[in-house]
Amino acid sequence: MSAMSTAKTLLAEALALPEGDLPANARIGAIEQWDSLAHTRILLALEERLGAPLDAEEAIAIESLEDIAALLVRRG
Amino acid sequence: MMQRPQGRPVNLTTERFLVRSLVPADACDRWCDWSADPDIMDPLNVPVRRASKDELMRYIARFDNDIGYLMGVFTKAMSLYIGFYMIEVNKMHATANVNLVIGDKTYWGKGVVNEVRAALLDEFFERRGVEKAYGTPLARNFPAVFNYKAQGWRLEGVLRGQCKSVVDGSRLDQYHFGMLRDEWRARKEKAA
Repeated sequence: MSAMSTAKTLLAEALALPEGDLPANARIGAIEQWDSLAHTRILLALEERLGAPLDAEEAIAIESLEDIAALLVRRG
Repeated sequence: MMQRPQGRPVNLTTERFLVRSLVPADACDRWCDWSADPDIMDPLNVPVRRASKDELMRYIARFDNDIGYLMGVFTKAMSLYIGFYMIEVNKMHATANVNLVIGDKTYWGKGVVNEVRAALLDEFFERRGVEKAYGTPLARNFPAVFNYKAQGWRLEGVLRGQCKSVVDGSRLDQYHFGMLRDEWRARKEKAA
């Protein structure tokens, strides 16, 4: 499974949206469901997936689907 | 001891909420309960301990609406008290340190923080002489960090190991977010 595909699954679950409804350019501010609680679910799901806490620089950088995929590649 | 003169209390209305300076009579059991709830206190790195109403009354009385503001957020519909903002103003530098607690968990994720904070930024930037606002959430306070970003605050720094956790003694990172008055005005103008 590619990092983008994993990121899409993770984001769709956190936002409670079907994966097919997620645009490739999904980001904070562009999707109504991406609110403060959903953002928390995204970061916690990422930590669970990576098996370690995100550091402050990594957590603050997550603003889009692309950012999630990039992090998964870096930490993969 | 000479008492500082009291400033002008804040009294604002947003689309869904009333925001006003608290007075000691606003201390209530609901608020005491928040202080004993780890879900609410841990993200703020404040020890969990049920405060008494007397303690809250004394706490509220410390704020003078001049350099220290403690403002409650009340629903318009039911006048239900759901949280508060604490703002400390440095008059020499025209800065304001903004802190907040939404204690009623049923209002989490409902856009309360930024709706109320927008009204407070308008008030403090346009009517109370503040030129820069800043906030320093814990890096692990993900909802708070989201709200700063969503509202357009600029990340000015990562304060590594800035404070010690009251839960387990580990060192915690904080972010420093800032908003200049001109940036806020430009943002509003763009949105209009």
